[in-house]
Amino acid sequence: MKGTELNYGDLEGFLKGLLENKAVDCLIMPRRVGNSVSYMLVRDKDKITAPESAIFAPSFGVNAANIVKGWLIDEKVGIVAKPCETRAAIELIKLTQLKEDSVLLITVDCAGTYANEVYAANYADIGDQVDSAKIKELAGKGISIRDACTICENRLADIGDIAIAQANGEKAVVAGLTDKGVEALTAAGLSLEEKDLEREAEKEQIAAEAKANLEALPKIDSEAALEEFLRDCIVCKNCRDVCPVCYCKDCFFDQPLGNPAGGDLLNLAETRGAVAVPANQLLYHLTRVYHVCTTCVACGACEDACPKDIPLTRYYPVITKKVQEIFEYVPGKDVKEPLPFTTYEDDELEECLM
Amino acid sequence: MGEEKGDFEPKIVGFTCNWCTYAGADLAGTSRKKYPPNVRLIRMMCTARFDPMFALKALLNGADGVFISGCHPGECHYIKGNFYARRRIAAMRTILKQLGLDNRVKSYWISASEGDKFATTMKNITEEIKAVGPNPVRDEIL
Repeated sequence: MKGTELNYGDLEGFLKGLLENKAVDCLIMPRRVGNSVSYMLVRDKDKITAPESAIFAPSFGVNAANIVKGWLIDEKVGIVAKPCETRAAIELIKLTQLKEDSVLLITVDCAGTYANEVYAANYADIGDQVDSAKIKELAGKGISIRDACTICENRLADIGDIAIAQANGEKAVVAGLTDKGVEALTAAGLSLEEKDLEREAEKEQIAAEAKANLEALPKIDSEAALEEFLRDCIVCKNCRDVCPVCYCKDCFFDQPLGNPAGGDLLNLAETRGAVAVPANQLLYHLTRVYHVCTTCVACGACEDACPKDIPLTRYYPVITKKVQEIFEYVPGKDVKEPLPFTTYEDDELEECLM
Repeated sequence: MGEEKGDFEPKIVGFTCNWCTYAGADLAGTSRKKYPPNVRLIRMMCTARFDPMFALKALLNGADGVFISGCHPGECHYIKGNFYARRRIAAMRTILKQLGLDNRVKSYWISASEGDKFATTMKNITEEIKAVGPNPVRDEIL
């Protein structure tokens, strides 16, 4: 693939160049505020300063794709984000919640992230970026990456239009993964050469570790276990609101049938004798896991957003992964691959119906 | 309530397609095939109308079992509705399997000419659900 190696100091010029040369009309990218890192939407290139201190930061607050969900605009948005966020954006394109031609997806290598509040509190120890050795060292001090990151198999930038991969010694390889990406890089004024970013061995190792970590997560394997797991849920639906691939404009659980109140609730209590309130706790999570079962990118935003600290990574990504396996579908891998529920084969899946 | 495993009359909610299984049930009736009355059929125009939420809701409201059936794959009245339905049902059942809830869900393909198969299936799933036992959520406050 076509790419070039940049010093960290040159990344600022590269991102500014994208805006300046109209490769994109605006950029959504991480910015540093003291110890914290959060996203900003930039139109003025001069607002970009020292991006290298923010774009590699192992901090996860929101999924960047959730910011652009439903933005059916014609202007071109560049999104500088981690692989799980790019995958979510690709799913949104397939769900027609985002225009393929209106985004430039710039994916940055990720070694695993800390919840943003953990990152800010331990910035002195964590720093601007980490690698797997540093993550192990910090885990020894009790500073752990998010569960969702420990089970993530796709941490290296290999999807989207442009990859920003970490190279040795304060250097990054910037490469175009699609024609659109190569065009943008050229427009930004980079001279490109042939670069190898396959990194197969590294990917295999990450995937093997992730699989082992997934196996080690506590299982929710019965209705009783599910009830126990969700006992403290207050049905605030934060997990839905922060989920990049949960996109219905009118959620069933905001409508009278899904969110019964007043007389409706009294009638339910009348037929059943008693009804738990807030209502539909189990139905909400069971329906939601079905709704995201093919598109969940396992970013773990739901767990971070849960005000009751329910470890939702043990539920959504774990349960949906098995569904994705029966369809041999990896969400966000390929923008051209149809969503499993929009296609079929004549002879398939009968073993799942036994 | 208070019923024992194997010794109770399960309530099973059936979602069947208008063109095949519902007609199959009709044939079973007109051919005077005997089958247990535990299934309450809900007729939909096609299994593609079946939303997995229907099954989840039935189970959480205390149904002991859920039965879904339509035309054999390739024989859909609407050409390909049951192909899409099959994907959705497979996804739903894969989720429920992991949560240990799938033993209450039964899915079949029964055509309009298979009155016999309909009657036998009803007998079989009623026995199977009896063996699983009453749905515990009936005694819970959900």
